[in-house]
Amino acid sequence: MSCYLYAVVPGPGRPSVEGLRGVGGATVSTVLEGDLVGVVSEVPDHEFDERALRAQLEDLTRLEAMARAHHGVVDTLADHATVLPLRLATVYRDHQRVREVLRERREEFAAVLASVDGRMEWGVKVYAVPSAPATSTPATSTPASASTASTSCASSAGESSSSRPVSGRAYLEQRLRLRRERDSGRRRAEEMSRRVDAELRGLAEDARHHRPQDPRLSGARGENVLNAAYLVPRSRGDEFSARVREFGVGESAVRVELTGPWAPYSFAAVESVEEREPSR
Amino acid sequence: MNETYRLPRRLDTDRDTVERDLMKLVLTVVELLRQLMERQALRRVDEGDLNEDQEERIGLTLMLLDERMTELRERYGFEPEDLNLDLGPLGPLLPRD
Repeated sequence: MSCYLYAVVPGPGRPSVEGLRGVGGATVSTVLEGDLVGVVSEVPDHEFDERALRAQLEDLTRLEAMARAHHGVVDTLADHATVLPLRLATVYRDHQRVREVLRERREEFAAVLASVDGRMEWGVKVYAVPSAPATSTPATSTPASASTASTSCASSAGESSSSRPVSGRAYLEQRLRLRRERDSGRRRAEEMSRRVDAELRGLAEDARHHRPQDPRLSGARGENVLNAAYLVPRSRGDEFSARVREFGVGESAVRVELTGPWAPYSFAAVESVEEREPSR
Repeated sequence: MNETYRLPRRLDTDRDTVERDLMKLVLTVVELLRQLMERQALRRVDEGDLNEDQEERIGLTLMLLDERMTELRERYGFEPEDLNLDLGPLGPLLPRD
């Protein structure tokens, strides 16, 4: 059996992990070394050696299961204590090796833990939302104007009364209007993003910008123009979330989305631990 | 010997896929041209560059083209977002919206 390390929390008191299940449904336990506690569970060797791990990370179903278990453990810990989440699939030979790592990297871990102590991460996303569903067939999207079109058009061309815009010019105007709405919506969203970010940075202690999400992957409606994470003291969480919710009010072209509070995933980055582990 | 007989049969079963893929590529290129023309036309309308007659003619042409594209797309069962090419680091051929 190998040892999966989820997170490091400050000791010497051990966090309660009773009843907590980790990757593969394994029982979660703790490893104490000095004033640091590693939160671990056992995983089968053959699923976590170098090659099996690579296959596992490419299999979306298994990856999702692992990610859910990982975040489940980290989030439960974060409810009660300061936590330094490790990267997905950080695996060591055994408990002894985890102890060694905690000892070798004590200063680094302690410094990161101090920087996120008493703070939580909040995620804020800003989307530009198209006012009407974006359409390349305006003829079908406006049945009301199309029906008036066919009557007014009938005399001039004597054409069939199929539903389409009044005329070529009407079509161009429609397209032009659509494009202007889309452009102004995007501009509004970008302007809003700058305002949101500037103000939230004032409330937060630290901020990170992530790449905007691809709507094809996230399934979210609209274009993601801001994808940011903020490190906020627990005591200021209510104030922060209330402020974020105010931003979206009365906006139809811009959607502001708040998630959290999370364990400080974006701020507790330590240099990859796996790379220091000699491959065996 | 066996190999030479097997090959044509395999190509035959793939013919539908090949035709569909080719159609998709053709429609993507036409859609690209349609969008470029539309953008150019809208820019000129915006600048007041065209008289009413010209606007009417261009608008009608674009409208008809749009309708034909939709028809063809639906006949082959493509969604609007299917008509696009991923150019890797250059991004998509057509803007996604």
